Amino acid sequence: MRNDTPIIIGLIAVLLLWPLVMGDYAVSQGNRAMIYALMALSFSVLAGRLGWFSLCQTSFAGISGYTVAILGVKYGWPAGAVIPTAILVAVAFAVVFGLLTVRSRKVSFLMLTLALGQMVWALSFQWVDMTGGYNGISGIRMPMVLGINFNDDRIFFALLAVVTLLMFLGVRRLYQSRFGLLLLGIQENEERMRALGHPVYLARFVAFVLAGAIAAVAGVFLVFDMGIMSPSPLGLDHAVWVLTAAVLGGYRTLWGPALGVVILVALEALVSQFTDRHTMVIGLVLLLCILLMPRGLAEVFGQFRNRKAKSATASS
Amino acid sequence: MTTSRTLMIGGVSALALAAFQAQADDTVHVGVIGPTSGVFSFFGEQQRMGVELAIEEVGDSVAGHNIEVTFYDSQGDPEVVVDRLRAMQSRDDVDIVVGPVLGSTGLAGLDWARDSGMPTVISYSAPEDITMRDRAENVVRAGWTGAQPMFAFGEYVVEELGHKEIVMVGQDYSFPYNQIGGFLKSFCAAGGESVERIWHPTGTSDYSSILATLPEGDAVMYNGAGSDGLAFFQQYHDFGVDQRMPLIGGSNFFAVGDLPEMGDAALGGMSALQYAEGLETENFIAFRDAFWEMHGEDTMPLAPAEHGYVAFRMAIDAVEEAGSTDREPVISALRATEMPDAPRGPFYLDDYGNPVQNIYIYEVQERDGRLVNVPVETYEEVSQFGPYDPEEYMANEPDSRNFPPEDCSDPFYDEL
Repeated sequence: MRNDTPIIIGLIAVLLLWPLVMGDYAVSQGNRAMIYALMALSFSVLAGRLGWFSLCQTSFAGISGYTVAILGVKYGWPAGAVIPTAILVAVAFAVVFGLLTVRSRKVSFLMLTLALGQMVWALSFQWVDMTGGYNGISGIRMPMVLGINFNDDRIFFALLAVVTLLMFLGVRRLYQSRFGLLLLGIQENEERMRALGHPVYLARFVAFVLAGAIAAVAGVFLVFDMGIMSPSPLGLDHAVWVLTAAVLGGYRTLWGPALGVVILVALEALVSQFTDRHTMVIGLVLLLCILLMPRGLAEVFGQFRNRKAKSATASS
Repeated sequence: MTTSRTLMIGGVSALALAAFQAQADDTVHVGVIGPTSGVFSFFGEQQRMGVELAIEEVGDSVAGHNIEVTFYDSQGDPEVVVDRLRAMQSRDDVDIVVGPVLGSTGLAGLDWARDSGMPTVISYSAPEDITMRDRAENVVRAGWTGAQPMFAFGEYVVEELGHKEIVMVGQDYSFPYNQIGGFLKSFCAAGGESVERIWHPTGTSDYSSILATLPEGDAVMYNGAGSDGLAFFQQYHDFGVDQRMPLIGGSNFFAVGDLPEMGDAALGGMSALQYAEGLETENFIAFRDAFWEMHGEDTMPLAPAEHGYVAFRMAIDAVEEAGSTDREPVISALRATEMPDAPRGPFYLDDYGNPVQNIYIYEVQERDGRLVNVPVETYEEVSQFGPYDPEEYMANEPDSRNFPPEDCSDPFYDEL
């Protein structure tokens, strides 16, 4: 976090150039990467600040996605009403789940979120009248606003890029705030924070709901990007994918989760062209990364930069 | 900085690949998509093997175009399907898509194809709305709808087997809904009385509570497949219910892969499909032998293989007919598909893009020491609408958990 202005400037440059320079497929991959970067960010807010490893962040994305699909397609609500409602519904779920999980720690938190996530998944699968079950709901499209067609991949990219960047900057702000420091303090020593008079449970609950809201926004983009909503994004494998990306990139840092997602998406896109056994190749890469860099790529790079800075000052 | 550097590297390599894959206009590039990894890889592998056989038979070129085929793995996931289809369209310059294979992925493929205009031949994927209420001009199907074989079976069960009250136990999702929906419509029209539906969640392994309280009827139908079906089959016999009521199946229940495990108790088991591995027509035997020669005699070509094979041939035939890979002529050639020599038997597409084809009522019999499904009755030219008028059929709500009504005296059946 020290001085990440160059990262932010570089990122803005890439986000500006990407849709101008790259082909259609790369742009759609960029969209996917940003959506999952938001989910990984949502995961990392809890994992990095509170030591809470959640397996239900993708469920919040799924809930908002399904809300968009159900209200938009089945009930024909206008998008202007659908999108805020979807985020509110997902946040409402986050409030309930937060109340249920706020007292749990580490493994019990992981298990609780696993159970809650699986319940939502099962609901999406079995509440056929509402969710379309296994077949899902199709035909979800972005609205035309002021003659701008947001279904165009590049326009969608621009909108998503702005939102993603704002969300990351918002979380950056959060990490630097007193509240962010309080969360870190709770992770380090919960008893001491309580003794100091901080509302530990309230802080954790608020963080949980905030993380849920981030995932909810990702879910809205996810469903409009895909055009369909099916139970698959709510499945355990997607939750684990997000966890993997965050751990690979470094969930303790702000930009680590995004880095992890970009690497995984790029690997999947490139390796799957050459072999059907791409999951194996990717698994191997992950294994090596996590063995060699257990704290994640972003922290390794961070240390590298620190060392360079130190040796530069030493030699001068 | 690090993030941006990674993005750059990714970008450069993607650009390089794009350049690498830019290709001349004199090829026809077919993208085949199916689940070749994951839980459903059996279906994807079958399709792949069928397509490989078709590739060999078709040769290297059609209408002066070199044929190029790329296989894509859908992982059985609708989200992955959309992603791979985007890659086909914008990265790989695919001209025609064959697949997807599974129900949900087929609907995802349809939804994407509607916007992109890509000529698409859906293979095994069976949700009826792909070629009904949600149909798209550029999407046709080489396979079937869930209800289609059951139109014939419902009639057969009443008229030939004499069962008028059926107790159905089935997996709780859309494909079995559609199967029993088709069954009920023709069953009631032929003079059946009722079908009581009992649904269980997929992945159920213990059926004792269902079997202990099973209502009486003339026969029991298991409407599902896979490991659930096997478990049901075994417990059905363990409980001795087979002494009271015979067991019939939905289209995939007596799948040939499961028959060895069911054993001789499966003998005489009946179901219906547009395909049967016990067919003895010349076209089928030629197909089966060529398939065995290519992939070994241990692998029986099943419906997903034949549908993949046929879908690929439909795609190539359409290019030949159109004389180019231009979308419009290819799509109209696809929609006009007639295949008198398909392995499963002759078929043509109806106005909505689904095959009108033979349905075989088949029975499990022993042949050369192995259990196979042998056709005992053929219903010719069965359409996805059964005997009904397409527009009237589609005006009804789609089949669901409890639609159509289970009692044949319901006024719904008088109006049908």
